Amino acid sequence: MERFTYQEVNREILRTLNPPRKPYYFLVGGLFLAVLYAASCWAYQILTGMGVAGVMHPVNWGIYLVNFVFWVGIAHSGTLISAILYLLRARWRTSIARSAEAMTVFAVMIAGLFPFIHLGRIWVFYWILPYPNQRDLWPNFQSPLVFDMIAISTYLTVSFLFWYTGMIPDLAAVRDHATGLRQKIYRILSLGWVGSHRQWRHYTSAYVLFAALATPLVISVHSVVSWDFALSIVPGWHSTIFAPYFVAGAIHSGLAMVLTLLIPLRRIFRVEKFITMETLESIAKTIIFTGLIVGYAYGVEYFMAWYSGNRVERDTFIWRAVGHYAYAFWIMVVCNSVAPLAFFFKKVRTRLSSLLLISVLVNIGMWYERFVIIVGSMAHEYNPYSWGNYAPTWVELSIMAGSFCLFLFLFFLFVKFLPSISITEIKESLKPPARERSKA
Amino acid sequence: MSTFKSSGILGVFPFADDLLKALEELKASGVPIHTVFSPIPRSEIQKILGQRPSPVRFFTLLGGSLGLATGISLASYAHLKWEFVTGGKPVLAWIPFVVVGFEFTILFGVLFTLASLLFKSGLPKLRLPEQYDPRFSGDRFGVFVSGSGGGKEMARMIFQNNGAEEVRDVF
Repeated sequence: MERFTYQEVNREILRTLNPPRKPYYFLVGGLFLAVLYAASCWAYQILTGMGVAGVMHPVNWGIYLVNFVFWVGIAHSGTLISAILYLLRARWRTSIARSAEAMTVFAVMIAGLFPFIHLGRIWVFYWILPYPNQRDLWPNFQSPLVFDMIAISTYLTVSFLFWYTGMIPDLAAVRDHATGLRQKIYRILSLGWVGSHRQWRHYTSAYVLFAALATPLVISVHSVVSWDFALSIVPGWHSTIFAPYFVAGAIHSGLAMVLTLLIPLRRIFRVEKFITMETLESIAKTIIFTGLIVGYAYGVEYFMAWYSGNRVERDTFIWRAVGHYAYAFWIMVVCNSVAPLAFFFKKVRTRLSSLLLISVLVNIGMWYERFVIIVGSMAHEYNPYSWGNYAPTWVELSIMAGSFCLFLFLFFLFVKFLPSISITEIKESLKPPARERSKA
Repeated sequence: MSTFKSSGILGVFPFADDLLKALEELKASGVPIHTVFSPIPRSEIQKILGQRPSPVRFFTLLGGSLGLATGISLASYAHLKWEFVTGGKPVLAWIPFVVVGFEFTILFGVLFTLASLLFKSGLPKLRLPEQYDPRFSGDRFGVFVSGSGGGKEMARMIFQNNGAEEVRDVF
């Protein structure tokens, strides 16, 4: 990173919050309309019934749950970058941590919507909550679905609070720079932060503790999601490898989404000085690592299917590669395990176009991975007479497209109304202003 | 912030090394330092002021322990009330309850950490203290010494001798 003064850091980052131009409003307005359309599709499904979705025996978990797992996965990079890499003192994370955290919060919010959409009878969602009731019925705390509800709601709460707490000193900087109504709003949001030595003393301590608590949480959340599958006896799901396999896949997709969003963002807001090519290269190197883990997991699944001697398991995995959904399987393998290998070449990982292309491919591949696991296994279980295929309907596809639009809508609002690069952390990475140096 | 309407003297510093020198001199002269403002956390400031580690960590421990107890108790209570045997496991199956206990540990730990951070830092507050200057969130450091008389004049001299770009009285 270039050598900046503190004032330049404030000026450059706060500049991204200046009133936007017309194309921004068109874009945000268009995304909002798309979200409204998806919401109306959900309303249609509620009024008409689950028959408008393509889920039907034997595939009772369709793309609603594919999207649920996909978005939970996307949510993992934020905490990886902001908590795990913070504890490991990886300096390259500084400029991208805030955007990745925002991505996490939005992705978990969207992920959390899909079980409700999948539920059908949304008005009885509260049955999963533990509350005293007349019939003395309680949720089964041995069920991975209840684990999931607890883990996802904890993750949403923790990632939101981690994001917001990290932003408080920056919100104070925005407040001190703003005037009028904006100043009043940011004064409330910054909670009256003044950067006194007492506040910093408690803040730094709390931030490390937040990171320390978020680190095991991020590992646990996708492990819990993987147990939704692994604790069942469905062939292709019942595997002890699922927890690390899902966590690695989640980080893989999350990092790819960070690249997909930040490459255009740094160009639009002209913040290349902060989000440098070295930062993008470091993400690409991490993607090679996660891609290798994911590729290894694919291989181990096949090995276990062969080595177990279980005919059903073997058949399931052969069918994945050559059966009805073979196209999805090969998209998954090529996009997740083969394409990221190109990052071994410096030329590829230092060129924006190739970084963006591979990151999009990984996102597509990771979506298909969830599809192959969820739909592929249910479509081809034990009894041949109950095999069957599934295809999503227009309602499901519309709601899925709406989820992507909602994610982008929230992200675009975020980059215009909140500091998308951490002012405090950037300043911390610089040498403080010193008279000795200024003389030199 | 302990007091909002403290009167005293404020020194604004453009350089961190000047600030540290001024703090050391104030400390050596026995002038009580009310507040030091800085745009980023600086361990040297905490060291000169002789501050001990924040007690926030104890609240985190308390929250985490309470969370663990809550998660395990809730799951146990629900299963004892229902007495529903699933998957051939006993009614009180401890291994699955570890997951519930773990998630509650993290949740309560974070909530207690945040609550203690806000409480100990005197947040939220809608009014900013008189001695606060908006430049402190940019690139300036500040030292506020409260009171009047000899201590205040001593502080003024130390600020001026150590490169303060602005020294002003706060009423």
